Amino acid sequence: MAPNGSPLSRREVLERCLALGTLTIASTAAPRLVLHAFAESEYRKPTPRNELGPFYKKKAPQNAMLRAPGDPGMPLSVSGRVFNTRAETLSNAVIEVWQTDHLGHYDLDGYRYRAQLPADSSAAYKFDSVLPGHYPDRVCQHVHYLVIAPGHKPLVTQLYFATDPVFEGDPDRNFGRDPLIHSRELVRPVLLKGDPQEMQAVVNFDVVLEML
Amino acid sequence: MRRPGLTLWLLLFCFPLCAQNLKLERSIPFSEAEAVRFTAISPKGNFLAAACKDARVRLWSYPALELKASFDLVDERIAGLWFSRDGSLLAIAGNRGKVRIWTLPSGKMKVELSAGADINALAISPDLNMLAVGPAERPGQLWDLRLGKVVASLPTNFSGSLALDFSPDGKWLASADADTGIRFYEASTGAPRASNNDFLLEPFATAFSTDSKYLYVGGADKTISVLDVLSGRVVRTLPKQTFVVRILQPSPDGMSLVAAYADEHSFDNPAPVLVWDLAAQAVRTTVLQEGVQPNGGGFLPDGRLLLTSNGKGRTEVWSVK
Repeated sequence: MAPNGSPLSRREVLERCLALGTLTIASTAAPRLVLHAFAESEYRKPTPRNELGPFYKKKAPQNAMLRAPGDPGMPLSVSGRVFNTRAETLSNAVIEVWQTDHLGHYDLDGYRYRAQLPADSSAAYKFDSVLPGHYPDRVCQHVHYLVIAPGHKPLVTQLYFATDPVFEGDPDRNFGRDPLIHSRELVRPVLLKGDPQEMQAVVNFDVVLEML
Repeated sequence: MRRPGLTLWLLLFCFPLCAQNLKLERSIPFSEAEAVRFTAISPKGNFLAAACKDARVRLWSYPALELKASFDLVDERIAGLWFSRDGSLLAIAGNRGKVRIWTLPSGKMKVELSAGADINALAISPDLNMLAVGPAERPGQLWDLRLGKVVASLPTNFSGSLALDFSPDGKWLASADADTGIRFYEASTGAPRASNNDFLLEPFATAFSTDSKYLYVGGADKTISVLDVLSGRVVRTLPKQTFVVRILQPSPDGMSLVAAYADEHSFDNPAPVLVWDLAAQAVRTTVLQEGVQPNGGGFLPDGRLLLTSNGKGRTEVWSVK
């Protein structure tokens, strides 16, 4: 821990190891340059931003099971971890997610398919839902994210699915069919698990916040 | 879903009107390239501005319908257009943040600036000195047009402002923000003065009352709330509807409030335009007619409400009875 109690960054740990002689850099290059390259290799690119709305609703319940028993639609399980650009985990992050039901309808009167998820001690989060539906005013299936952590810029983004029929199996080429998808990175691979009768879509989506 | 917003009446494309409440006043033929996307009518009722498919804004005199000028943003798609309260300025904003303001009736450009991102909201102060803009997913900006620079940021907890309005007396600026907050600022400095954080869903529309004492707010909660400007508190609400509120505009005499609604499931679905009687807190007129889909409008000084819509190869101007 640093004197102020905050965890040390990887770069700070390396600097201390060098200073204390517990780390030796065997290189013809200047130690400072090697250290810089080493530390930079841990840099994580911030998750691209994406539009918020228009149907964000605050004070969503802390409930990771968004899917109710008997809900139609393909079950969806999303998990990931929250980092900052220094690759440090952010266990104090809170992830808000909201999406439509399988028919493409948002719940404005209640909190169906909306949740607030505090990250756990390893900065991980997970929720269970159904694959959101398409609707006329929006091209692709998506889940909205708002991620907040102290000392970091709030992240507003959206998660998309590589299996979305809109991409016709080629999201690299076709992600731009939705004019709101500005980054291919937000289109995540989907792993289909289980029996054909009880198939579940599993998606991993790590998010990276920028520091203030 | 794409954020609602900026192009006020653009979203009314899908709203049918009630025939019994409408009277056709004028009709403007257009070619395919000149097809109108959305319009705005100047507060004095002497100009009709139309954003067209060819990325130009055409300005007609009204009711003579003489083409007076044509404006553009060079390399940006037109995201919205707004008249100042006195009708002497026309602001046009683009999808990459460019804002150009022209003086009317000369058609001379007064200022050009960039807010950095697609403009969700814009308002010009009554004294024409200040400009508030809401770029998408960024804090709003208060510009001093005399200095040509930003004098204040309008911060939110996240995202940006969805609607902005200056009070008619010029004292206050209100923002309806994507984090669901309603914030009041001093119009000349941008200093925060009051706020309301009780809304759960996003507000899409704001409009001050004509006496500058209240702010009307509507949005995804399908309700029009009336906020006291000094405290920021909700003092009353109009009966909840089954549609989300997209646009609000009070009549010049302050007695009525026109509200354009949208179906949350699809903006292509029919939804009404309602004229509220503010004293009775009841709907006075419901505007709904199949085949006539408004794409703009506004109150005239004599109290008439005009709406525009696209017919076959023409833009039609309707007055609401």
